[in-house]
Amino acid sequence: MTVTTQPVAPPRTRALRRPASFYIREIIRYALLIGIGVILFAPFILAAIGSFKTDAEIIAYPPKFFPERWLVENWVKVWNTDFGEGATFPRWLFNTAFLAVTTALLKVVGCSMAAYAFSRLRFPGRDLVFNFMLGTMMIPGAVTLIPAYVLMGKLKLLNTFWSLILPGIVDAGAIFMLTQFFKTIPRDLEEAAHIDGAGLFRIYSNVILPLSRPALLTVFILQFQAMWNNFLTPLLYLDAPRMWVLNVALSVFKQQYKAQWNLTLVGAMFNAIPVLVLFFFFSKYYIEGVSYAGIKG
Amino acid sequence: MQAQKRMVSDRTNANLAAVATFVLVFIVLMIPILMNAPTRGGPQVMASLSTYLAEVRKTAMPFVGAVSIGAALLAGVAALVVRREWRDARRRRALIAGYAFLAPYLIVTLVFTVGVILFALYIAFNKYDIFTPPQWVGLSHFIKAFKQKDFLQALHNVLWYALIVTPTQTALAIALAVLLNSPMRFRRFFRTIFYAPSVTSSVVITLIFVWLYLKTGYINLLFSKTLGLVGIDWKAIDWLRDPRGLIQIIVAPFGINIPSKQWYLRGPSIAWMAIMFQNIFTTAPTFMVMFLAALQDIPPALYEAASIDGATAWQQFWKITLPMLRPIILLVIVLGTIGTLQIFDQVYLATAGGPLGTTNTPVFLIYNEALGKQGPIQMGYAAALAFILAVLIFVFTFLQRRFIERGTELYY
Repeated sequence: MTVTTQPVAPPRTRALRRPASFYIREIIRYALLIGIGVILFAPFILAAIGSFKTDAEIIAYPPKFFPERWLVENWVKVWNTDFGEGATFPRWLFNTAFLAVTTALLKVVGCSMAAYAFSRLRFPGRDLVFNFMLGTMMIPGAVTLIPAYVLMGKLKLLNTFWSLILPGIVDAGAIFMLTQFFKTIPRDLEEAAHIDGAGLFRIYSNVILPLSRPALLTVFILQFQAMWNNFLTPLLYLDAPRMWVLNVALSVFKQQYKAQWNLTLVGAMFNAIPVLVLFFFFSKYYIEGVSYAGIKG
Repeated sequence: MQAQKRMVSDRTNANLAAVATFVLVFIVLMIPILMNAPTRGGPQVMASLSTYLAEVRKTAMPFVGAVSIGAALLAGVAALVVRREWRDARRRRALIAGYAFLAPYLIVTLVFTVGVILFALYIAFNKYDIFTPPQWVGLSHFIKAFKQKDFLQALHNVLWYALIVTPTQTALAIALAVLLNSPMRFRRFFRTIFYAPSVTSSVVITLIFVWLYLKTGYINLLFSKTLGLVGIDWKAIDWLRDPRGLIQIIVAPFGINIPSKQWYLRGPSIAWMAIMFQNIFTTAPTFMVMFLAALQDIPPALYEAASIDGATAWQQFWKITLPMLRPIILLVIVLGTIGTLQIFDQVYLATAGGPLGTTNTPVFLIYNEALGKQGPIQMGYAAALAFILAVLIFVFTFLQRRFIERGTELYY
């Protein structure tokens, strides 16, 4: 019996015809998204515009959206803030940036070393220490707050950068994330290096670290942001005006400038813009870091 | 004969190493303890190491004594382990390497976490300001805490806060994530825009919102414009200074007046709810990102099968999406609870605990008591409050895990 073949239908060349409900749903979705985006971003926009207003405009009611003149002088005035004894705005900016970068770098080094030990090395007590580390994650910050302050006082570290740098070397969350990440690196590479005679430290520095660049970069960025945005610990430890970080200085601005919100908002912009810029460039790492910690954790 | 000699010298080496380890570990453990010993502070005591140690001997011996027993036990265990591992060269190297890599973590944790917590545990039972030696008071701090109006009100506030904020930010985060989840153009752009408020510091957000919440601010403007459209005349509210409670406002039209002595019946104040709203702004996007990642893990086949069976999008959401998200929902709720119960920055900046104590929180109270901002310095009392808060957090997260995690094993 001969096999008859069905004629093949010609390939579809017209666009897919979707029901109207599909387009309506999409329009509603985009409208919602744009609306929510506007709402979430509105405070920043309003604040940015407000930072150029005059003293009278900033507390006028009803407030006008745009200022009469764009007062760049506000920004200059805030930049030139000087509370005496070296407490200047550029200095505060430096304090914040220095702390953020240093703690981030040290954290990458310290946490990756610990993560390497947990994920790759075998030694007695490894699991015990790992579980202990997870346990410390559950301790609320409020408990260690004041005793740590007393300790810093005793060690004469108050009003020095060390008070924030030293405790910042470890972070159980970062160690955990890096441990999970290191576990995904195939052992063959390490074994090859081992056969070539590399010691453990060299394996760590020349094999594991280069392969973990995305994870390390994520730890760096998240820690940079965390230290830049930190308020309570710098408030406690760095209370001399010359050592303030931007957040602490801003809290003083609020009391100092009272109704001159335009100036306070300039300060807020100075604080927010570097982090926002960093974020927009590295948003992939931020978001993957946060979701990685949430899902695999 | 040679083999026996080697075995003996191996054993002596191992024993020597064990003793050395015991001494080393004991010293390493005791140094943070001594650093953290509860003594007087001040320049006299800290003039030099010897004056400090003299002070320790005078005031902190019970503490040092108790902890040194634990340290000795740990050191003993370490010594025994070393003795066992010393013989085999490879295991010895693994032991040393492991702890060498862990050294930064261990040292910092010992000094700044373990030592600090032991200190906190000790002074919670003492009356301690840094200028006089600690005096034992037993449980009196804990009893006093539950009689102090400020603390009770702080607990009341923070419980309302957790009750309202945690579900809201979770629901909002899920909604945003679902909205962003389907393949669409500009998805990454929207995701970045939504996440931006979480990136800036709480100080920046709080300051901006304090300005927005002014009587002459944009939020009053928004209300007056939108309510003006429906013909309602809006009287500007001084949001952050308004102590009227939610329940108080709801029952007022019925003629019920809640007296200030029964402040706990009034519900969260307007000022407090203003802060809640402001906080959800920053926390919802962070959780949205976690939900987005989790949504990607749900196999599309489930949705296809459901729609073949005739399920609507709404049904699919409730019967597929939400159950599959359960572990992440638990995580978000637990993280949210831990965060909300410890809120500080916004309170310090925006309201300083007012109006009428309706925005006071435990951490803010701990800060004030410990640094003597509203009375004498009472570090022991503050430490006791901190432990009460810690217990509260533990209990909450334990209960949440019991109730929410119950169903999650089914899906793996």
